[in-house]
Amino acid sequence: MNAISLGVQIMKERLTAGRMMVIWPLLAMFILFSSWGLSDPKVTLPASIVIDSAYDVMFVSTAFIIFSATLGAVLISFDGVSRDRLSGVLEVKLSQPINRSVFAKSLLFGHWSAIFLPVMVLNLVSLFVIWYRLDDLPSIEELFIHTLGTALLLLWYTSIQLLASSWAKDMGSSIAVGLGVWMIFTLLWLVLTTVVAGLSGVGVDDLNSAEYVKIDAIMDLFSPNGVYHHLLEMPLDDVDRGMSPLYTSIAAILWSIIPIHLFTRRIERLKP
Amino acid sequence: MWASGSMETILSLSDVSWRHQVRDFSSWKPWAKRDGAGIYSVDLEIKSGTILGLIGPNGAGKTTLMRAICGLYDCEGFDKSCETRRTEIGYMPEQVRWEGRITVNHALKSIAMMREDPVDVESLIQTVGLSSKADQMLDNLSQGMRQRLSLACALIGNPKLLVMDEPLNGLDPLAQRAFSNLLKNLAKKGVAVVISSHQVADLESLVDEIALLHQGQLLIEGSLAKVRNDLGLEDNSGIVDMICSATGIDPEEVSLELSRDSMLPFKSLGGEEE
Repeated sequence: MNAISLGVQIMKERLTAGRMMVIWPLLAMFILFSSWGLSDPKVTLPASIVIDSAYDVMFVSTAFIIFSATLGAVLISFDGVSRDRLSGVLEVKLSQPINRSVFAKSLLFGHWSAIFLPVMVLNLVSLFVIWYRLDDLPSIEELFIHTLGTALLLLWYTSIQLLASSWAKDMGSSIAVGLGVWMIFTLLWLVLTTVVAGLSGVGVDDLNSAEYVKIDAIMDLFSPNGVYHHLLEMPLDDVDRGMSPLYTSIAAILWSIIPIHLFTRRIERLKP
Repeated sequence: MWASGSMETILSLSDVSWRHQVRDFSSWKPWAKRDGAGIYSVDLEIKSGTILGLIGPNGAGKTTLMRAICGLYDCEGFDKSCETRRTEIGYMPEQVRWEGRITVNHALKSIAMMREDPVDVESLIQTVGLSSKADQMLDNLSQGMRQRLSLACALIGNPKLLVMDEPLNGLDPLAQRAFSNLLKNLAKKGVAVVISSHQVADLESLVDEIALLHQGQLLIEGSLAKVRNDLGLEDNSGIVDMICSATGIDPEEVSLELSRDSMLPFKSLGGEEE
C-alpha cells in the first residue's frame, strides 16, 4: 500500500468519469489549435511578439494551457473530497488502517495525474504539429522546463482545489470555491495587478513601462499562473522582467509546499 | 476465513466521551465553535462471538459511538489505539451512496488497497452475493446492492469486530434474512458484531446482548431478557418502554426533543439518579 498505487486507482476513476467528455475536447481545442495557429509562419501577434522557434510557440501557447488545463484541474478536483464526504464513502475510506497523510498524498497524486496525463499527451501531439509546421523542435532543456512548469502548475491548482473541496460541506460551495479561485488567478489577476500598481503610484496607462512590468513581475509571484510564466521565461533570452530565478524558484517551492501541507493537515484532522 | 476463539474481550471502552464541535452562532467570529451533542462517559466491553445491538432513538449517539469505536474520532478511553482499532475493525456506515462510472470490483479493490495485507476481492464479492454485479457500474446499483457493497468493504481484512450502522435499512425481507444469517455465521466464527437500530424488533432475533443509548448516554446493557427483567418490562416491550423505564420519563410525556447540546449526566434507573 502506498500513495502512488492508490493514486493510480483514483486516477483511473477520474479518467473514466463523465466530466472527461467535456475536458478532453476542451484541452484538445485549446492546446492543439493554439499550436497549429501559432506555428503558422504568417501569424501576426499583438504587443510585437515575434515567434521564430518551436519553444516560442510553446511559450505563447501556454496562455491557452493556463486557460484550459487549469480549468480541467478545477473540474476534476473540485469534488475530490466533498463528493465522497457527502455520499458517505469517505467514512468507509477513513475507517481503513491507512495513514491519513498517505491517503492525502494519494488523493493529490490521483487527481493531479488525471489532468497531467491528458495535457502531456496533447502537448506531445502539439510538438509534432509544431515540427510539421515550423520544421523545428525545442531543445531538451526547453522541453524539460515546459513539462516541469506545466506539472507544477497543475499540482498547485489540484492541491488548492482539493483543499477547497475538503472545506466545502456541500457540492454548491465546492463548485463556487473551485471556480472562484480559478477566476481570481486566471481572469481577475490583471485587474488586481493594475490596482496594486495604481496604489503604488505606478502609471497604468502604459502597461509596457518598466515600473509597471516590475510590479507585474512581483505580483506574478503571488499567483500560480504568474510563477508558471516566470518559470517558462527562464530559457528565453529576449524576455527579461527583472525577476531573479532565485525568487521564482522560492515562489515555486512555496506554492508547492504550502497548499500540499495544508491539505495533508486538513485530511489528518478531517471528521467524516 | 475468520479465526474462531473463546469469548475474549475484543475491545474495552472506559469512560469514553466525545462532543461534536458545532458552529457557535452566538459569536461574531465565523470560526467560533462550541461543544454540541455527543456521547458521555460510555463504559462497554465487546466480546468475541457476540452480537451486540446498540439501540436508541434518533440522536441518541449510536453513530457517534460507532465512529468513536472505529477510530474515526480521536477520543480516549479505549484499550486499543485508533490505528489498531482501524486494523481490527470493519465498519459499515449507514446508507453509503456508492456512485460513479466505476465497477463494483474496482471500488472494492480501491478500498482494499488501503490495507497492508492482500485481499481476496473475488471471495468478498461472492460472500455478499454481488458476483453477478461485479462488473456493473456503481451508478446502476440499487440501494440493496449498495448496502451489500458496504458490507463487503466492512469485511475487508477479516475483522475481529464488525461495526454496522443500521445495516438492515433499505434491504428487502429476503436480503435482511440473508444478512442476519451471515452475521450469525460470522459470530459463530468468533467475530464480534456491533449493530445499531432504533427498533428493538429489528434486532430481537439477531442479537445476544443490547446496549440502550439515550441522549448520548449508555443507560443499560445485557441480554434482552435481562434488560427487560431489570427494567420490569414485559417480553414484547419496545424501545420507548425501555427508555421510559430507564429514565423515569412518563410514556405520556414523551416528546420529539432530541439530545441536548448542554449534556449533563442524568443516568438513572427507574427514575432514580445513580
